[in-house]
Amino acid sequence: MRWLRRLGHKPLVEKRLDSELHFHLEQQIADYIASGLSPDEARRRANLEFGSVEGFKEECREARWENHLELLLHDVQFALRGLRKNPRFALAAILALALGIGASTAMFSVIYNALVAPFPYKDQGRLITLRVLDLDQRGDGEGNIRGLLSYPELHDYMEQNRVFDGLIANCEIDVVYDSGENNSYLAANYVTPGTFELFGIAPLLGRGLEPADYKPGAPPVFVLRYATWINQFGSDPSVVGKTFLLNGVRRTLVGVMPLRFAWGGVNLWMPRDATTASVMRGTFPQYWGVVAHLKPGVTLQEAEADINIIGARIAPSYREDYPTHFHVGVESFVHAVVGDGFRRTLFVLFAAVGLLLLIGCANVASLLLARATTRGREFAVRAALGASRARLVRQLLLESLLLALGGAVVGVLFAWAGIRGLSSAMPPFTIPSETVIEMNGWVLLFGISLAIATVVIFGLFPALQASRVDVQDALRGAGKGLGGTAAKSRLRNAVIVLEVALSIILLFTAGLFMRSFVAIQNVSLGWQPDHLLIGRIPLPSQHYKTGPQLVSFFDPLIHNLKSTPGIEGASPVSTTPPYGGFGGNIEIPGKTHAGEWESLIQLVGEDYFSIVRQPLLSGRAFTEEEVSTARKVVVINQTFQRRFLGDGDPLGRTIVLDVLKKVPDAVTDRSFQVIGVAADAMNAGLERPTEPEVWIPYSVTGSGMRRLIVRTTADPGSMNATVRKAVWAVDPTVAFAEGEPLAELLNTFSYAQPRLGLFLVTTFATIGLLLVTLGVYSVIAYSTGRRTHEIGIRMALGAAPADVLKMVLKNGLAVVVPGIAIGILVSFAVSRSVVSQLWGVSPYDPLSAVSVVVLLLAIGLLACWVPARRATRISPVTALHYE
Amino acid sequence: MPTEKNDLHRGTLDMLILKIVASGPLHGYAIAQRLQQISKDYFQVPQGSLYPALHRLEERKWLDAEWKDTSTGREAKFYTLTSKGKKQLEAEVLGWERLSDAVSLILRTAD
Repeated sequence: MRWLRRLGHKPLVEKRLDSELHFHLEQQIADYIASGLSPDEARRRANLEFGSVEGFKEECREARWENHLELLLHDVQFALRGLRKNPRFALAAILALALGIGASTAMFSVIYNALVAPFPYKDQGRLITLRVLDLDQRGDGEGNIRGLLSYPELHDYMEQNRVFDGLIANCEIDVVYDSGENNSYLAANYVTPGTFELFGIAPLLGRGLEPADYKPGAPPVFVLRYATWINQFGSDPSVVGKTFLLNGVRRTLVGVMPLRFAWGGVNLWMPRDATTASVMRGTFPQYWGVVAHLKPGVTLQEAEADINIIGARIAPSYREDYPTHFHVGVESFVHAVVGDGFRRTLFVLFAAVGLLLLIGCANVASLLLARATTRGREFAVRAALGASRARLVRQLLLESLLLALGGAVVGVLFAWAGIRGLSSAMPPFTIPSETVIEMNGWVLLFGISLAIATVVIFGLFPALQASRVDVQDALRGAGKGLGGTAAKSRLRNAVIVLEVALSIILLFTAGLFMRSFVAIQNVSLGWQPDHLLIGRIPLPSQHYKTGPQLVSFFDPLIHNLKSTPGIEGASPVSTTPPYGGFGGNIEIPGKTHAGEWESLIQLVGEDYFSIVRQPLLSGRAFTEEEVSTARKVVVINQTFQRRFLGDGDPLGRTIVLDVLKKVPDAVTDRSFQVIGVAADAMNAGLERPTEPEVWIPYSVTGSGMRRLIVRTTADPGSMNATVRKAVWAVDPTVAFAEGEPLAELLNTFSYAQPRLGLFLVTTFATIGLLLVTLGVYSVIAYSTGRRTHEIGIRMALGAAPADVLKMVLKNGLAVVVPGIAIGILVSFAVSRSVVSQLWGVSPYDPLSAVSVVVLLLAIGLLACWVPARRATRISPVTALHYE
Repeated sequence: MPTEKNDLHRGTLDMLILKIVASGPLHGYAIAQRLQQISKDYFQVPQGSLYPALHRLEERKWLDAEWKDTSTGREAKFYTLTSKGKKQLEAEVLGWERLSDAVSLILRTAD
């Protein structure tokens, strides 16, 4: 301690201690001198008798600390004993807190990792992406947004902007990897110079792509993704430096990226120089996704203004790609990657979990309030025995702190389990593959602050209330026959009303989600997804440019597949249902119209309709001969007929598919004759109405992405390898990529997200319901217990058990019914905010509302029933003696 | 800590201090003198050990302390018994009497 004193500032307490001890010594010395000793002898004896001054000073200081520590330990012991005495209360409170804290921490983790910091990339907050918006088409559909730029366009933005200090782009390309023994398919990206520098991620092995790699004539190289290196190359470090035959070109693998680099979500990256724009002109446009880094100090708005000036300048050169009225949006990259739909789902879930946390806290509050009142007498006795009010408050706070600590510890365990569960339940492709959902420091801090806030708010209040006990009143047992004072019971009831109302909101939301999910699952697709296998057919463009070339591949393949056991038939198709082909302009000879007429166009084989089981309402499907000779015939759907052809027999009419002039092997005669009308089927996803759609022979053009759809008699997943082999048998440079049963794809892409939302909201609602049951029960049981005396008198005066039962139930309903009413009203007010998550159900869905009300009434009555029954069984004699 | 035969148990010292202070406000030196006089030098403890005990009792709110001038005009710390301390003293004296009764009863009847 001496070093402290040398700091020069001696605290008052120390000075006082010093002078107290010296006073003693000086008095003693004076007394000895007065009794005749010499001053020296007097000083010697006094010091000897006193002992070590410094030692006793230290003991004095300790005496103070020891005392505090002892009191604290005593209080902790006391609080623990108090909790142990009533383990059901302690468990209920800890569980309620833990569920709230755990669930909200888990959801917060997901939101933080998925929405705030999904990437490991350098300065990710200042990365942006570009999209061209069509201002004439309102709504939130994908059709009026273009997120990809053609190569020359990209080049213009790159050279003319003044707001970015880095702009890179990527373009998807299918790669067939020929290992010498067999072929396999890999998804790849062409990337432009500066890509690896922009993201700032160091490679795990070897190197990233460097400026020299992009130069014309540079040796072909590529960089591999971590997951692909593990899965397909057995994490063998010696593959770096080896050459691989990719799409017929020998490329050297120069590096492997670490786990969290997954740009474009592909298996490998290959360099493509951005300065050779002229090479790309005049070919079928490749479309590139853009990421740019804002210059220091440039805001999103400034960037957007600059980019729109360029957009307006260059738009006339790209008539096809720019709508009449457009706006180039500059959007944060992080924001753009997680889809708005899923973002909203996460926020709704977070709100739901917030409600759950509130219910949990309200529950603990009501438990603490009830308990504090029951213990009024205990505290009065202790106050009478000399415990100070501060001490009592401290003990109650300590008790709440212990509860919160328990809640936080168990809550963190719940959160840990919840995060593990959630990250494995995340629907694929809703969050970027770079995202890792983990509990991080922020999340932990969040959980701990929740625990502390809960203690302060819900521990302090009952503590203050309990400490205000009037000693005299409490000791006399006043209020024994009443439910505590009026103010206290009002507060308790208010907490329960709040709890019931919150729980109604949660349940109602869960009800809406459930109804919406059932509605989506019950959507009639218009075709049958079972026993269908679908995969991409990446055709090397150097060999497959024209329709006849395609026929030379597909014709033998389809014939082979038809005769394969377990397979009924197969057909080429452009897109995976429920998405119906690519969109484009159409014209009907003799019909004029304002605005553009657009239809989906699907390139298929002769067996397509029978394979997907989509019925034809009139006319016929294609013949084999029409397909192999690329005849200009077309099958339209009902929506097409209704919208563009009007009344009259559609068969034999002519329609012009204008869009076909845009493909590389431009179709000169674009007039098609209608030969059949197919029944409407879902073709724009499951949640949007059917669009006009036409089907034409796949051989009409050699351009565009192709898929193969196969109807199997066996389990479709088991036929994957068979189809892959059949493809290689026809041409070893082609692959059957990403083959998957269509029913599973539907499950993944269309049902997984609503199912996750439904599952979580239902889980939260169920937990909320349990907590509310507990809350209502504890309050009714408590107030009924307090009225035992009164009930005894009533029964002694002749009340029947049924009357008592009715009285207690009425009491319970008095808090449950207002809670339900408030809850339903608030639900209706807030349910509009989840409307974007709903499909096929109104946000005021009466069925959900009625079921929720009935459920909560039943739960409320049940929670009252137990204490009510107990009350009727009391013998009046016991009740009258009851304290 | 002294470990002689006539060592004072902490609780006993506390009780004696409370008893002495009960007679009126006293400073530490006076309490020490009184303790020595009453016990006729029976207890062999360094006088300084009184002070940690005083501070402990003050912290427990059994004693109250105030700085006042002594009759000689010097400032000293005076201790007084609080009502809490009074209750504590009563409880301890009662406990002590019961204990000593019980002990002497055993000593007498064990013959």
